[in-house]
Amino acid sequence: MKLRAKFKKDGDLKYISHLDLMRTIERAMRRAQIKFSLSKGFNPHPLISFGPALSMGATTHGDYFDVVVEGEIDPKRFKDDLNKALPDGLEIIDCYIVDDKDLLSNKVKEAEYTVDVYLMSRVTNLAFEITRFLGRSEIFIEKESKSGSKVIDLKNYILDLKMLDSKGSKITLYVKLKISEGSPGPIYVIKALDDFLGHVFDVERVLVDRRNLILN
Amino acid sequence: MSDLKNKIDDLLMKVNKPARYTGGEINSVIKDANKVKIRFAFAFPDVYEVGMSHLGLKILYSLMNERDDTYCERVFAPWVDMENLMREKDVPLFSLETKTPLNMFDVIGFTLQYELSYTNILNMLDLSKIPIRSKDRKGYPLIIAGGPCAVNPAPLSDVVDLFVIGDGEEIINEILDLVASCKKDNVPKEDFLRRASKIQGVYAPSLYVETYNDDNTIKSIKPIEEGVPAVIKRRIVKDLDKTYHPDKQIVPFINIVHDRIVLEVFRGCTRGCRFCQAGMIYRPVRERSKETLLKLADKLIKSTGYEEISLTSLSTCDYSQIESLVYDLIEKYKDMGTGVALPSTRIDAFSVNLLNEIQKVRKTGLTLAPEAGTQRLRDVINKGVTEEDLVNSTKEAFKAGWKSVKLYFMLGLPTETMEDVKGISDLAHLVADVYKDVNGSTKGLKITVSTSTFVPKPFTPFQWYPQDDMDSIINKQNYLKELLRGKIFSYNWHEPNMSFLEAVISKGDRKVGQAIIKAWESGCKFDGWDEQFKFDKWLEAFESVGVDPKFYAYKNRDFDEVFPWDIVDVGVRKDYLKREYKKAIEGKLTGDCRLHCTGCGIKDLDEGVVCFEA
Repeated sequence: MKLRAKFKKDGDLKYISHLDLMRTIERAMRRAQIKFSLSKGFNPHPLISFGPALSMGATTHGDYFDVVVEGEIDPKRFKDDLNKALPDGLEIIDCYIVDDKDLLSNKVKEAEYTVDVYLMSRVTNLAFEITRFLGRSEIFIEKESKSGSKVIDLKNYILDLKMLDSKGSKITLYVKLKISEGSPGPIYVIKALDDFLGHVFDVERVLVDRRNLILN
Repeated sequence: MSDLKNKIDDLLMKVNKPARYTGGEINSVIKDANKVKIRFAFAFPDVYEVGMSHLGLKILYSLMNERDDTYCERVFAPWVDMENLMREKDVPLFSLETKTPLNMFDVIGFTLQYELSYTNILNMLDLSKIPIRSKDRKGYPLIIAGGPCAVNPAPLSDVVDLFVIGDGEEIINEILDLVASCKKDNVPKEDFLRRASKIQGVYAPSLYVETYNDDNTIKSIKPIEEGVPAVIKRRIVKDLDKTYHPDKQIVPFINIVHDRIVLEVFRGCTRGCRFCQAGMIYRPVRERSKETLLKLADKLIKSTGYEEISLTSLSTCDYSQIESLVYDLIEKYKDMGTGVALPSTRIDAFSVNLLNEIQKVRKTGLTLAPEAGTQRLRDVINKGVTEEDLVNSTKEAFKAGWKSVKLYFMLGLPTETMEDVKGISDLAHLVADVYKDVNGSTKGLKITVSTSTFVPKPFTPFQWYPQDDMDSIINKQNYLKELLRGKIFSYNWHEPNMSFLEAVISKGDRKVGQAIIKAWESGCKFDGWDEQFKFDKWLEAFESVGVDPKFYAYKNRDFDEVFPWDIVDVGVRKDYLKREYKKAIEGKLTGDCRLHCTGCGIKDLDEGVVCFEA
């Protein structure tokens, strides 16, 4: 049986990597005595799969993982048992049964983020500037990946970008992005916007929260 | 406190592996710090990933936190990136559990696992705004230290207030009781140390004076007043089976060096390898019963969720019920994907069936330690292992499908010749031939040969023997690089100047301690890390305090010489070590003391000390 769990990760756990997160959840399942299925190969490992990796330092309130479990487990029971075994900063917020053939990687198409940035100098009418930024026909950026960096058009990925709030020098932005193989994260949007505005953000103090992964 | 937490938070986004500094792991202990009498910081003078892998920390952390009156928290050496930010932003060194600055603790306890981490101790004190010399520390936390390197406390004698010699869990409660009562009565540090020195296993260096002969050897180490013991007897856990073993273990978020459950099956070793300090200073062998181990394993597996349990000791295959223990564990936990690891495998006791069984759950590497290349030299060090053992065990392993082997050796062992060095390569080639016999060709085979430089250590039969000089070691390494060419071999070696420094410090006296302080003042830290090691700064430090490091590493010592560590009685007698030294030079073996008592003297250390009896 396959379960899909929606989770949040915040507090100090924003400092752990995607790999650390996977290990932490796997070990929590063992502590919770949840019987997950093991792969058959030479080095058996739990059949758990995660959605797109979150960058180090980012929090989430709407990520998912799938796990294949032995026998029947009530999703509510799964959620409650696992929550007792998880460290502070990690919590399952929803859990339901999905079809064995349903792959999380095929379902994730879009993601919503809020991003807190701090202004180092004043910007008059930021909302208008963002509209101008989005009005460009193309926004080329250099994206780094394992195989080196390449130039992509950010415009193809931005579904929405707007200002949600501003308190003193702290600005909260809403970013909605397309998710696909090798798609850029919100930090690239912030950097491109910062370039466009003539470097007004404190780029060392950007707090990204993935509000939600949108499954289709 | 929350103010400091915010300051730390601002740094964490800018450093590597920030989870080193956050705490909050499963099974870490959260207490109300206002409701305890003693706040104890367990300080490990290396990074989180190294410190968290250490069994002593796991034992003492849990044991101290079982006391209602004590809160033990952890602190590790911040890596250089974090340290630089901390100094820049004026953030003091803090505990992981409550983010309390270290100078707010009652006791800071360092564990001494490795001589090249001593400068980190000074650095950690300095980051806590605590003076590094004990004489300058009125009104500051008490600094205590224990662990294997404490058997020679001399080099840190100006820094540490109180050393603990022997098994920490045996003595820590007595020390904490005294701390609690002295804190309540506001007893000054000197009086506290005087009282503490009455506890067997405690060495308070400020109560002793070291004097020297004209040739720089030690004349004497004597107490400066009546009532202070002349010799510090090591403390020993007598019945390991009844002794505390934690049934919980902190589960780190980040990958640490040994990222698994650690279950200690026994302490000590009966093999008597003459180079091995641990084999001498942890005598006698004390086992836990299989029933106890299975019970502990069950609790540890359930409380951690780890995917691997490692059965540790100095030589785990020597455990009297090793096979049935391993089979029981595998059978019981394989459905959860939890495997068993045997980190210390000897060639002779090596059972391929056992490793095959282990392999079903989790793939393990095959690591063998012949230590020396020829039979002659293996006899010198009393490594009772033969070429035939190596052939037989690798043959079985290759038949079972293994494709890679790691072989560990030492360079610079007493009496070593170039013939012995060549023997290292010969053995590696022999293993390749064995593989060829089994598989028809060497296709897929990988043999890793690692050599470290032999460091003569206190309380071993080789404590009188000089270390091989660096040029000679480099020659031998280059020779091996030549001999171990070809795709199937890879050769790793240790920095010889690091091993030299290790020899100097491990056999050092109080004067060497001055050089350590000097080296730290000129920027040395993380000396065990290649990229941080600054050998020239060390040489300058020795020069500036007028100490010749070669005297400590290269001197051939007389049997009647007084050593800085003669103040400590670990139980193994000096005449036994001398006997073993002589036998070594003659190439004579000494048998396993499980089979026949070799008369090391450990049984006379204390009442109730019992050797392993088969």
